[in-house]
Amino acid sequence: MTHSLHRRGERESLENDFVVLGCPATGVNKKGSAPKTRKFLSICYENGPVNLGDMKTGNVFNTTMNDILNHVTDGTIVQCTFDNRERVVALLKQLKDDKPGISVIVSGLTDVVQQCMDEAGLGRIHSLEYSMGTWGKTEKLPDYEVLELTTMCGHAMISANLVDKLVRDIKRGRKTVEEAVLQMTRCCTCGNFNLTRAAQLLRKLLPLYVLHSVH
Amino acid sequence: MKADKDTCIACKRCFPYCPMGRIQSFHRHNTIPGRVYIEIDQDKCTDCGVCFRADVCPVNALYQPEEPWPREVRAILSNPLIEFKGSQVPGRGTEEMKTNDVKGSFLPGEAGVGVELGRPGVGAYFKDVEIVAMSLAPLGYEFAGENPVTHFMADVKTGKLRDDVLNEKATSAIIEGKCKLEVLPQVLEALKEAAEKVDTVFSVEIITKVPPVGEIPIVPILEKYGYWYSINSKNNMGLGEPAFKFYQDN
Repeated sequence: MTHSLHRRGERESLENDFVVLGCPATGVNKKGSAPKTRKFLSICYENGPVNLGDMKTGNVFNTTMNDILNHVTDGTIVQCTFDNRERVVALLKQLKDDKPGISVIVSGLTDVVQQCMDEAGLGRIHSLEYSMGTWGKTEKLPDYEVLELTTMCGHAMISANLVDKLVRDIKRGRKTVEEAVLQMTRCCTCGNFNLTRAAQLLRKLLPLYVLHSVH
Repeated sequence: MKADKDTCIACKRCFPYCPMGRIQSFHRHNTIPGRVYIEIDQDKCTDCGVCFRADVCPVNALYQPEEPWPREVRAILSNPLIEFKGSQVPGRGTEEMKTNDVKGSFLPGEAGVGVELGRPGVGAYFKDVEIVAMSLAPLGYEFAGENPVTHFMADVKTGKLRDDVLNEKATSAIIEGKCKLEVLPQVLEALKEAAEKVDTVFSVEIITKVPPVGEIPIVPILEKYGYWYSINSKNNMGLGEPAFKFYQDN
């Protein structure tokens, strides 16, 4: 399960894009992990993520924080998305002191994540996973600008056609950028979708589309 | 996913939500005069449920029937809300490097290699998954036991999948496993050749334990052979407890 990997984008766009996961380990600390996961999630919430959720319950835009907390059981994997480096540093400092005990994973620019760890006093990255890109019949993929948005949902729950439709809706005055972002966010159940970055990308995408009619 | 022909009014509101693209067709109802309904192409649909969860159908015509084997593998791999009992993890993969700090799944001298067929947003048939799996198996690549694709194999030694799943499709299906660092170039070369044979895309990911000092072990290999790798990555913070002992002195 690598749903926070393979996010497409340029360095400046990815600089403030972080997904933080809390994951208990089957066969090691999964049994009795529910209170630890709730603690992890509460610490993340205090540090101001833009999105947060549990794959099976949904994200905070589909349900409530209390509902997500109430559905945490032994083994639940939770994730939070941040749009701000300083908040990630503050979160890591708190996690270092309050150690919830489950594994913590941060997806983001490798060098920036390492800097955040250094500032939080965590030392070196323990293990890492790189994306080596997309191979095979890449002509089947949508445009790069669309992929920048859709790959923020690693389960591919945001379709390229939805992005096209939302761009048309914005251009026709039927939706604001914020409303369009919210619609995409609701499709990505886990809480990995970065709303701040999505709004920036959508604004960048708008001039690339030409409508044939306003209807 | 199906649309009930007696209820559907062919309003098309669900169309843009489908990650597999435009897979619906229009039909004229044979008993309700003037009524047009849609049919979802059952071969192309991966039962991911996103159209249903989008809650855009004004007449609640969309429904997910309980699917028998082998079709049920579609939802297992494509619907993130469904947990695969073999991995006990919701979604299509395993815990992989996420819990490496406590499980020691990827040791120094090993590289985790994941191949996610169909990602991003294209979808993949299992016959293509088999092509990739069979290209990795002879190289000493060890398939992750708890991964759903490994469970669908008829022979883990060869990577051959069960015949009855070959025509099934998933939004994405991950082959997960690991190999010794010294055979990583051959594994990546095999993937390059498999990329020419499959009728879809696949995303490749590579995992390593980062040593306390010194270079990241996979980086010189990737650079020597000219492979692109991302500036962004997934990073384990090493905060899990109890910590796995990777080295004798820790």
